Amino acid sequence: MDQYRNFCIIAHIDHGKSTLADRLLELTGTVIGKDRKAQVLDSMDLEQERGITIKSHPIRMEYAAQDGRTYTLNLIDTPGHVDFHYEVSRSLAACEGAILVVDAAQGIQAQTINNLYLAVEHNLTILPVINKIDLPAADPDAVTDQIVDLIGCDASEVIRVSAKTGEGVDALLEAIVAQVPPPAGDVKAQAQALIFDSIFDPYVGAVAYVRMMQGTIAKGQRIRLIQQQRDHEVGEIGWFRLSRVPRKELSAGEVGYIATGAKDVRHIRVGDTVTLVDDPCLEAMSGYSEAKPMVFSGFYPTDNDDYDNLKDALQKLQLNDAALTFEPEKSAALGFGFRCGFLGLLHLEIIQERLEREYDLNLIATLPNVEYEVVDKDGKILLVENPALMPPSQEITDVREPFVRLSVISPKEFIGAIIQITLERRGTQRKMEYIDTERVNIEFDLPLSELVVDYYDKLKSVTRGYASMDYEYTEHRAGNLIKLDIMINGEPVDALAFIVHRDKAHHWGMEICRKLKELIPRQMFQVAIQAAIGNRVIARTNVKAFRKNVTAKCYGGDISRKRKLLEKQKAGKRRMKQVGSVEIPQEAFMAVLKVER
Amino acid sequence: MTAPGMQPTPPSRPARGGGVYVHVPFCASICSYCHFARTDHHDAELRRRTVEATLAELDLRRDQSSVLRAGLRPVDTLYIGGGTPSILEAELFRDLLDGLRGRLNLADDAEVTAEANPESFDEDTAITWSQAGVNRVSLGVQSLRDGTLDLLGRAADAATTRAALERACAHFDRVSADWILAPGVTPEALAAEFAEARALGVGHISFYILEWHPGTALTRAAAEGRIAPDPDERVEAVYLAALSALNALGYEQYEVSNACLPGQESRHNSAYWRRRPYLGLGPGAHGFWGRRRHANHAATDRYLAAIDAGRLPEASWELLDGAAGRLEAAILALRTCEGVDLDRLAVSEEALAAGCAEELWVLDRHRLRLTTRGFLRIDAIESWLSSHVIVPERCARVDTSGEGRLPCRDSKQHHPNGTTRA
Ligand SMILES: Nc1nc2c(ncn2[C@@H]2O[C@H](COP(=O)(O)OP(=O)(O)O)[C@@H](O)[C@H]2O)c(=O)[nH]1
Ligand SMILES: C[S@@+](CC[C@H](N)C(=O)[O-])C[C@H]1O[C@@H](n2cnc3c(N)ncnc32)[C@H](O)[C@@H]1O
Ligand code: SF4
Repeated sequence: MDQYRNFCIIAHIDHGKSTLADRLLELTGTVIGKDRKAQVLDSMDLEQERGITIKSHPIRMEYAAQDGRTYTLNLIDTPGHVDFHYEVSRSLAACEGAILVVDAAQGIQAQTINNLYLAVEHNLTILPVINKIDLPAADPDAVTDQIVDLIGCDASEVIRVSAKTGEGVDALLEAIVAQVPPPAGDVKAQAQALIFDSIFDPYVGAVAYVRMMQGTIAKGQRIRLIQQQRDHEVGEIGWFRLSRVPRKELSAGEVGYIATGAKDVRHIRVGDTVTLVDDPCLEAMSGYSEAKPMVFSGFYPTDNDDYDNLKDALQKLQLNDAALTFEPEKSAALGFGFRCGFLGLLHLEIIQERLEREYDLNLIATLPNVEYEVVDKDGKILLVENPALMPPSQEITDVREPFVRLSVISPKEFIGAIIQITLERRGTQRKMEYIDTERVNIEFDLPLSELVVDYYDKLKSVTRGYASMDYEYTEHRAGNLIKLDIMINGEPVDALAFIVHRDKAHHWGMEICRKLKELIPRQMFQVAIQAAIGNRVIARTNVKAFRKNVTAKCYGGDISRKRKLLEKQKAGKRRMKQVGSVEIPQEAFMAVLKVER
Repeated sequence: MTAPGMQPTPPSRPARGGGVYVHVPFCASICSYCHFARTDHHDAELRRRTVEATLAELDLRRDQSSVLRAGLRPVDTLYIGGGTPSILEAELFRDLLDGLRGRLNLADDAEVTAEANPESFDEDTAITWSQAGVNRVSLGVQSLRDGTLDLLGRAADAATTRAALERACAHFDRVSADWILAPGVTPEALAAEFAEARALGVGHISFYILEWHPGTALTRAAAEGRIAPDPDERVEAVYLAALSALNALGYEQYEVSNACLPGQESRHNSAYWRRRPYLGLGPGAHGFWGRRRHANHAATDRYLAAIDAGRLPEASWELLDGAAGRLEAAILALRTCEGVDLDRLAVSEEALAAGCAEELWVLDRHRLRLTTRGFLRIDAIESWLSSHVIVPERCARVDTSGEGRLPCRDSKQHHPNGTTRA
C-alpha cells in the first residue's frame, strides 16, 4: 500500500489542469499517442467546448520512479467550477495530496485560493506548481512569491513546469512520489469506501467511483450505502485506465469503481459511505450532504406538444446528475413546464444547452431565482422557489433569502468599481487583503439572488475580465423583500414575476417596463405593460400597435421575397411564447437581467 | 367616350387557364421612388433585341414544357407591364403581340392589358394597341397635381397625364389607373382626382401607399432631410380617405390597394392572388408555373447574353414544397377582400376573437377577412399569421411518443381545400 499515491489537481479555470493531466498520462505510458486525443479526462463535448470539467474521471497510472520502484498513482480529477463545490470537496477527501497549479502569466486567481483552502481543510499535502513557464508573458518569480505568501512554503518547493512542452513534469512526478503520503488505512478492518462521484451507465446501471479507506470489497459481495440505507450487490468492481478495468476486489488505499445495478444515480449519492452488509463498519465518512439546488428556473417548451419530450430529457439527464431537480409546474402564461433546481448558474446553463442541443428542444427559461424561506403568520416556514407563488405580503411576517460569501480577486485598480457594483446589489464588504503588490482579494456577503441575476457579467465588464470570483452559500437571512408582478394587457404574467427589495421596487418596476417595451415587438394590438405590487400599479407603459406599411401589390408576382422574409421571421419566432394574444420573446423573460441599477 | 363601366367586354370571370406577364424594362426617365427592373439607357436597337429575346425566351420555355407546347393550358390573361411598354415603337409592339399570339394558345376572350405612361401614350400608340388586341390599359397616373408629380420625379406633368387618361378612356372600355399616396397629398385633393377619373370612365383604380425603397432618389432625399415622410397617422388618414372617396364614387375595394367598378377587376392580378400559374417573360420578370417560381435577370445585358447562349435567363428559381405553397396562398389571400379560409390557419379562438374586437378582421362564412384597419397593418398581420398557417410538414410529423397523440395539432388538414363547414 505504500506504493499508492492518491492525488488531485486543483487550479483556476484555464490554468492548465487538463493539459497537465494529459502529460502525466503520457509520461507514465498510460496513454499513448492518438488515444490521448485531447483531454482524455473531459469526455463530454459541452465540457470540452467550455473548457470545464463537470464529471471527474479518475485514472490509475503506473510510474517507475528514479528510486527503482514502481508506484501506482491515482489521479482524481476535480470539477473545475464554483457551482460544484461539494463535488470538489468529496474528490479532495479521496486524496492525500493535491497539485496546486497556477498559471505563470496570470498568477493566483479566486478559484486557486478557494480550492487551496478546501485542500488544506482536508489535510492534503500541497504540491505547488507553476504552469505555462514556456509563455513569453510568464513571470514565474513573481508567481512564486504569491504562492510562498499564500501557502507559506519555501520558494524552492515550487515546481515549474510547462504542461505544453512537458518541461519539468518528470520532476513533478518525482515530487508526487516523494511528498504525497501513501494512504493509511487497515486492509483487515471493516470495509469503508467513500463515493466521490457517480455516473449512470446504460449497461451496468449506476456506477460509484470510490476511494477505499479501509478493508476490502470484492465482486459479488453485498454492500450497504450507509447514508441512503440501501443495499446492493457488487455487480462489477475494478479500477480505471482510460476506461474501466474489472478486478476481483478493491482494498484500502485504492481508487476504483463499483457497479451496483442501481437504476438511478440519485441512489448512489456522492459523499456516501460504502460498507459490507455482513461486516459493516460503524462509522460513515464525515462531510456528507446532499447536493442541494441553489438556483431555480422554470423550463417551458415553446411548443406545448414538447412537454413529454422535455420530461423524458430531464429524466435522462438526471440519471447522471444527482444535483439536478425538477418538479412539474403550470404557468398561466407559459403552460406546462418544470421548475428545475441547479447548483448554480453554470449548471443551469449547461443543462439548458444540453436540452436544446442534444434533445433538440426549444425552451423558454424563466429568470433564475433562489429559494426563499417565507414565514407565515403562524410562524410556519414555507419554501418558495417560484416568485409567482410568493404569498401576498399581508399573509407573511418574514421573507428570508440565501446569502453567499463571495470572494473576488482583481488587480487593485478595479477595487472601486467592484465595491460599487457589489454594494449596488446589496452586498456588504467583509474584508480586503492584498495578495501581492498588485492584486487584492475582497470578500463580500451578498444575496445569492443578486449574484445569479447578472453579477458575473457585470464583474467581467467592469474589470475588463481581469477579476475572478468564487462564492459559497452561508445562510438564509431576513430581508425586506416583496413580489413585483408584471401585467401584460391587465393580466399578471406569472413567469415574469420576481422578488425585489422593497426600496428598489419602484426603480425596478419602471426599468422592467421600459425594457419590456424594447423587447416585446410591435404587434397587431396595442400592448399595455404594467408593474404592480399587490394591487398597486407602480409603473406602466405601452407597446404601440403596428401602423402603416400598406404594401403595394406583389408586382410582377415577386412573392418569393416576401415569403422568404416571413419564413425567416417565423424561424426567429420559434422562441416566442404566446401569452393571451400577445407574443413575448424569450429575451423578455430575462428582461430583469438587463436592468441598469 | 364610352360611358363608365357600361361595356364589360370581355366578361369578367375568374381565370381558369394561365397568365402571361411580359416585362418591358425601358423608361423615358427614372422616377424618384422606383426600384423596379427598368433602365433609361436604351435605343431602338436594344429595344428590338429585347423584344425578340423575350419571344425567344418563350420558345425556350415552350421547348421545356409539353403543356405549353401542346397549348393544353389556355392563356386567359396577358399583361404587358414595365417599365414603360408605351415606349415601344408601334411596329415593335405589334411584333411583340403577334409573336406572343403565335406561340400561345390565347383564349378568345383573354384579358390583354398593357401598361402605359402618360408621356408616351399618344394617339398613335392608343390606336396601335387597340388594333393589336389590347383590351385593357393601365395608366401610371400617380397624381394629377404638378407638385406631387415633381416630387415623384415623373416624366409627365399634370396636363399630359390628364390628356393620356382621357385618351385611354376614349379608346378602351377597360381602363385602370395607378395612384401613389405620396407625402403631402391631402384627402380632399385625392378625392377630387378620383372624381375626375370616374368622370372620364376609369373603371379600375390602384392606390399604393408610397413605399420607401433603399437606394431610390426619394429615400435619399428623406435621409438627407430634404423631404419629410408623412407620419404614420397621416398616411393612415390618407389611405382611409382614398377608400371612402372611391366608395362614394362607386368603386369597390377588392384588394388592399385595388378598387373597381363592378365587373372591372383585373383578372390578371386576381390570378396572382389566387396563386394561379403564370409565365414571366422579359428582363426582371417573375414567373410561377408548375410548382416552380423563377426570377429572370433584371439587367438587360445579362438577360440578353443568356438568351443568346440559348439558356433560360433565370437569375434564380425554386421548387416550392407544400409548406411554402400554403404560406404563399395564405398571405396572398389575406390581401384580397375574399380573405383566408380559416381551415388553412391554426389560430387560437382567443386570438381570432381579439382581432375581431380590435376590428382588424371579421370572420365571415368561415373566412378571415381584413377590415380597412387590418389592411393598414397587413405587414404585421402577415408576419403574425405566417406562423399559424397549417402546413403539411407539421401534419406529417411522426408520432414517436408511442402514446397515440394526434400527430397534427388540428385535424382540419384533412380538408385542405377548405370546403366551408358552416
Ligand atoms: N503555453 C502553454 N499553454 C498551456 C500550458 N498548459 C495549458 N496550456 C493551455 O492553456 C489552456 C487551458 O488549459 P487546460 O488544460 O484546458 O486548463 P484547465 O481549464 O485548467 O483544464 C489551453 O489552451 C492549453 O493549451 C502550458 O504549459 N503552456
Ligand atoms: C411597376 S410600376 C410600372 C408602371 C409604369 N411604369 C408607371 O410608372 O406608370 C406599377 C405601379 O406601381 C406603383 N409603384 C411603383 N413604385 C412604387 C413605390 N415605391 N411605392 C408605391 N407604389 C409604387 C406605381 O403606382 C406604378 O404605377
Ligand atoms: S416610369 Fe414606372 S417603371 Fe419607369 S421609373 Fe417610373 S415608376 Fe419606374
